[in-house]
Amino acid sequence: MKLNNLRMGKRYPYGIHVKDQKQFTSEKPIENMPGSPKIYLSMTQHIGAPAIPVVEVGDYVKKGQLVGKESGAISANIYSSVSGTVSAVCDIVNAMGQKQKYVVVDNDFKEDQILFDEMTSFEPNDIIDRIRLAGIVGLGGAGFPTAVKLSPKSQLDCLIINAAECEPYLTCDYRLMLERTEEIYKGIKYTARALNLNKVIVGIEANKPKAIEIFSKYQDLEVVVLKKQYPMGSEKHLIYCTTGRKVPCGKMPFDVGVCVQNVKTMIAIYEAIELNLPLAKTVITVSGGGIKYPKNLRVALGTPFADIIEYCGGVNDDTVKVVAGGPMMGKALTSDIQYTRKTDSGILLLKSKEANGEKPTNCINCGRCADNCPMRLIPATMEASILAEDYLHAEKLGVMNCIECGSCAYNCPAKRPLTQSFNFSKGKIKEYYIKKKAQEEKEKNQQKEEK
Amino acid sequence: MTYQFSASPHVRSSNSTKKIMLNVCLALLPATIAGIVFFGYLAILNVLVSVIFAVGSEIVYRLIMGEKFKDIVKSLDYTSLVTGLIIALIIPANWHLYIPALASIFAIIVTKMLFGGTGQNFVNPAAAGRIFAFISFTTLLNTFPAPTIGAINPTVITGATSLQSFLEHGDSLSTIDLLLGTGVAGCIGETCKVAILIGAIYLAIRKIIKIWLPLLSILFAGLTTYMLNDFNLNIILPAILSGGLIFGAFFMATDYVTNPTTTAGNVIFFIFFGILTSLLRHFTGYETASFVILLMNVLVPLIDKIPFRKPFGYQKPKKEVK
Ligand code: SF4
Ligand code: SF4
Repeated sequence: MKLNNLRMGKRYPYGIHVKDQKQFTSEKPIENMPGSPKIYLSMTQHIGAPAIPVVEVGDYVKKGQLVGKESGAISANIYSSVSGTVSAVCDIVNAMGQKQKYVVVDNDFKEDQILFDEMTSFEPNDIIDRIRLAGIVGLGGAGFPTAVKLSPKSQLDCLIINAAECEPYLTCDYRLMLERTEEIYKGIKYTARALNLNKVIVGIEANKPKAIEIFSKYQDLEVVVLKKQYPMGSEKHLIYCTTGRKVPCGKMPFDVGVCVQNVKTMIAIYEAIELNLPLAKTVITVSGGGIKYPKNLRVALGTPFADIIEYCGGVNDDTVKVVAGGPMMGKALTSDIQYTRKTDSGILLLKSKEANGEKPTNCINCGRCADNCPMRLIPATMEASILAEDYLHAEKLGVMNCIECGSCAYNCPAKRPLTQSFNFSKGKIKEYYIKKKAQEEKEKNQQKEEK
Repeated sequence: MTYQFSASPHVRSSNSTKKIMLNVCLALLPATIAGIVFFGYLAILNVLVSVIFAVGSEIVYRLIMGEKFKDIVKSLDYTSLVTGLIIALIIPANWHLYIPALASIFAIIVTKMLFGGTGQNFVNPAAAGRIFAFISFTTLLNTFPAPTIGAINPTVITGATSLQSFLEHGDSLSTIDLLLGTGVAGCIGETCKVAILIGAIYLAIRKIIKIWLPLLSILFAGLTTYMLNDFNLNIILPAILSGGLIFGAFFMATDYVTNPTTTAGNVIFFIFFGILTSLLRHFTGYETASFVILLMNVLVPLIDKIPFRKPFGYQKPKKEVK
């Protein structure tokens, strides 16, 4: 049967092939993890201003009750994922070294749930209001508040669902696509309605034939089969491969009339609108050679990683690294003192052999990084100027366009820490411009005073 | 429990400088074996001397610089081995053994270690070593032994390379002989083109070189010779199959460290390598591949400055309307 809503994506020649390692969990159905006795809700689970705690120590909270209120235009509500008593509202330094405000709830296991009111009208505004209320953010990893993303300045003409999941190891999106297809479809419909458009593209990598088959049954979705290539899930490349549009440097997807949303976000939207649930749980993949029983898990937000790891049978010996997120762009953790956030998509426990973390040696100028960079930058040259502390030259070479995908560092035979140095230099460049601006203002003020 | 902390990416591919260099050594083996078959024990001695002196001088240099022997051995990345091997392959078998030894020492110490070791040199060490020997021992310049297949013959027959006799007298060997290197006078590793090609194909399969780049050089070298010789078609094949062009293109111009970073830059590099080799050959009558490599190495920083590419999604800055 030839399906007329199925087509191949445009080819994009620059990127890399990574061992996808999804076999650990790709056939494992999502399990519900039982609640932890204590949950830790960070007030910073999104990009933008942290939420402000609205509960105090000793308060009783129900499951689904607001504990952190959004502060400002770009921010998101935080809800309790269990019922119980608030035992602390305090600052905690997590394993990424960030100090954040947390609300700690002692779980009483009563599962006392409260819901939002039933929605009566489904106009775009209503949908967006509900999404904001439910505290939904981009669950693909960025964590940008979805309500803001769904209120663009100009009319868009295309919604793209990012179902590429190009990060190795991770399978949570894939499992959701197989198990909760209908919910995702409904979520997509609501999102399209909120954006006031009809054209919806679902971009799926070719290594997920089952997901492609399931989604191509919906005749009003356009399923685009993408080549298995990293980083296909990067917004800019996804947009190019599905629509042929290039997002200009320094611009956002809405500048070319598209909005990219993640699969998981669609489920959250569906639940917020039809089931009246706030965003209080997420699905993550626990995988890697270092974990006894790799699993796809549905966990309550705020669940300590230690509990999750224990639930999966604990770590094997020789586990050297714990990573929150995918192996290419995730963050390494110094310990397992870390708590599930909205944006988490996986916990990886890597053995030393998998991590392959040898010491860097001199760049041999092999050009592999330049051949692979999906942003068409020349990492080796940029790194050289960063090492020479010439950050402005690095900027000229385009370091600000780097999406920190890790393709260059992955294939570097000299094991140069390329991505890390680009991240570092971006900070330096921003710092420089802030200083420069301050300096200029100071001079202006001085001139004024002199007059 | 604490874990390793590092920046992303947390997984790496398994390739490494060491593996690449080891593969290059493997790829040089066919040419080495061919050399030994053709030139006998002198070739073996040459190879051993160059390799030992190349690797040895890196170790000695680093010992002098205060590194521990254990660490040095652990971090040896076979680049010196490659350099030594290449030096042995691009000199004639009848040169006194102190010449390859000195060339190796010069190549490793002066062109590589003094600039900071692997990856920091800006000229190809092997080419530099060869030129150094060439300039220092000019008297030995033009004698090349013809192969004495299998036979161990201490009194080597000397003669010009097929390239030179070809350039000077117009007599040339059959194409098959040139390809196989049978009866061709020349340097140890440069005569048997088939062996070189086998090595090159191996490197291409291993994705270490892009095989079309050296082929581009050879194509342009052929074209240049063709035009220089009154558009004589018969001359193309013998010209490209003679001398060090093929070896240079596959094993010396492809040296990562001393060629441009981007593929676009390499296209220019390889085209110029081909053209210049032919030109210099034509006008000097000498074997010039190593010299051209050095010349091009010096131009690499310039080539690398050319802005070949724009970031994905680059837009020309709009001109401000006045
Ligand atoms: S991949 Fe690594 S060794 Fe090769 S050019 Fe880039 S930084 Fe240098
Ligand atoms: S991390 Fe940056 S420089 Fe490296 S490949 Fe990705 S976009 Fe290019």
